[in-house]
Amino acid sequence: MSHWNTDLMRRYGTQGPRYTSYPSALSFHEEITPDDYARAVAEGNEARRPLSLYLHIPFCRSVCYYCACNRVVTADHRRASDYLQRLKKEITLRAQTLENTRPVQQIHWGGGTPTYLSDAEITELVYHTARHFHMLGDDEGEYAIEIDPRTVTANRVSLLRGLGFSRASLGVQDLDPRVQQAVNRMQPYEQIKDVFDWLRDFGFRSINTDLIYGLPWQSESSLSRTVEKLVALRPDRISLYNYAHLPARFKVQKQINELALPAPEEKLRMFARAGSMLEEAGYRLIGMDHFALPSDELAQAQDNGTLHRNFQGYTVRGDSDIIAYGMSAISRIGNLYVQNWKTIDRWQADLDDDVLPLERGYLLSGDDSIRASLINQLLCNLSLDLEAFGSQWQIDATRYFADELMQLKRLEMDGLVARSGSRISITGPGRLVVRAVAMLFDRTVGHSAGERYSRII
Amino acid sequence: MTSKLTLVANRGTSSVSQHVSCNECSLNPVCLPLAVSGSELTQLEQIMKRGRPLKRGEHLYRASDPFESVYAVRSGAVKSYSLSEEGDEQVTGFYLPGEIVGMDGISTAHHMSSVKALETASVCEIPFDRLEQLSQKIPSLQHHFFSLMSREIQADRELHMLLSKKSADDRVAHLLLSISARHQRRGLSPSSFRLPMSRYDIANYLGLAVETVSRIFTRFQQQGLIRAEGREVEILDRGALCHVGRADSQRRA
Repeated sequence: MSHWNTDLMRRYGTQGPRYTSYPSALSFHEEITPDDYARAVAEGNEARRPLSLYLHIPFCRSVCYYCACNRVVTADHRRASDYLQRLKKEITLRAQTLENTRPVQQIHWGGGTPTYLSDAEITELVYHTARHFHMLGDDEGEYAIEIDPRTVTANRVSLLRGLGFSRASLGVQDLDPRVQQAVNRMQPYEQIKDVFDWLRDFGFRSINTDLIYGLPWQSESSLSRTVEKLVALRPDRISLYNYAHLPARFKVQKQINELALPAPEEKLRMFARAGSMLEEAGYRLIGMDHFALPSDELAQAQDNGTLHRNFQGYTVRGDSDIIAYGMSAISRIGNLYVQNWKTIDRWQADLDDDVLPLERGYLLSGDDSIRASLINQLLCNLSLDLEAFGSQWQIDATRYFADELMQLKRLEMDGLVARSGSRISITGPGRLVVRAVAMLFDRTVGHSAGERYSRII
Repeated sequence: MTSKLTLVANRGTSSVSQHVSCNECSLNPVCLPLAVSGSELTQLEQIMKRGRPLKRGEHLYRASDPFESVYAVRSGAVKSYSLSEEGDEQVTGFYLPGEIVGMDGISTAHHMSSVKALETASVCEIPFDRLEQLSQKIPSLQHHFFSLMSREIQADRELHMLLSKKSADDRVAHLLLSISARHQRRGLSPSSFRLPMSRYDIANYLGLAVETVSRIFTRFQQQGLIRAEGREVEILDRGALCHVGRADSQRRA
């Protein structure tokens, strides 16, 4: 496929926000008060906005050396039981102000490893959630759980399905035993295949898998073997994440032998090769590093212009308020972002005092909201009509974004963006570096980003 | 017999005669007391009520009855069922001694299905609000209760999967193995037991014709997997019985 152009990727593959929020969590600050939270919740109640619940289960049985997540590695299960009690407390506390008739469109259990919890604990948590919220009946909601293939059995999968989860996200990362060993995550292909069989047998509707490129001992050819085997299992969605080696920030990454890491040039080829293989296998690049089968909701939502982006990546339900539970979890309620304490102790201490465990956040200004919406549309729909956008926000979009549109001309000349009339479209090659387009409209990366572009081009 | 009659007469009037002694019950190691000890057991006993004995075919509760209690099967066996739109009975589960029935009402405040006795049976009634209160005080009891709930959800989902994905042979094998495992949990022989339900109930539960179930029983016997006489079943080749499903899933792949 011609648009898997490593040259463009090299030039535009700058470091930048992943836009799971705008502005990114780096802009969050401590001046957010419980009043801001209460006001945002009340507005959401008034508008009867649907809810999206995120539950963070930070525990892992063993450590994966590439991990940059906020997690706790422990074999002491009592820590999980203690955490679960606080999590239930947080659900109860927040439920006091959340109107309980608002439909829960989306649930996402992330980690860490949600399946670190025992069967009984998982049931207890779902039961507790259902007591406080209006959950939707048979599969009307998008209820998803992240699954470590090493932690489930057929019985477990049947329980998860019986509790109402219909979507699973499997951490696959890489199928090559040598790579798996180097990142301390041994999970034979057969084990992953079993989990796929169980998920399908028990009626899970969508299976997402994560792959990572740039891991130690990976090469273009080893990754393509992984992709080939994975594609044979036909997951509905595949995410192909870039491994960023930052041992100074994420200490566990020091376990990774730097000499075994693929060179930047090889990484580009890996992504290009894997991407084109996925397209040949019938997957569609939704944007950035997300692929989906055309039959998947994500692809269909993209066609209908109803795709959104939030902390869990791409989603088909963007009009909801995200209420996030657990240490470090980020909520988005109307125009407010608010993040929980990032350490388990502090998060727990607040809950034990019956206080919401909020650390910091961000209240979007009018301009922020306009930019967030524009970036969301570009990343999700890959096209934007300036006139329609302007009337939606009651601005003259061409004048409002005059500077940005000037800069956009460079990307246009490079064939990443096409303009016709008032419409801006991301081209095939542009999809790969769509973040670079979004960054043009990002005021928080502002001038320095502009400099970075000029320097890179 | 007289003692049973006395219990019926006194139901709901005297707490003394209803008093349940979990300590003396042989199901103690598999039922709710499994999770509690010493003084906690006394607290659990205090909330339990010895229910009336059920005659064969008698209802414990019916669908849409208000949900107030869950029940531990003490002896005999019961089945749960719901009615199809045409009014036909659809068997949704079998409950043996030590197993808890009635959890289908927890999330809806009404029972979703009906339960009646397959044979003479007795149950202990556990008022749910009091069980919840007690669970707050005894975490191990709460944990155990959620384990039971998990198992119930799994069984329900497995049945669903069995009916939609698996062959007739596989379904019958699954049921036999499930009953066997439940006998074993109670410390009884896992390979020789009496089925509490008729072929008709088995067929209904597994979504098969009665003739099919009978044919499969006959075939399993010819293959030397089981010996069956009326409701008495002996498992002769457990490995092969488990394998019925394995071979089937390989065909499918």
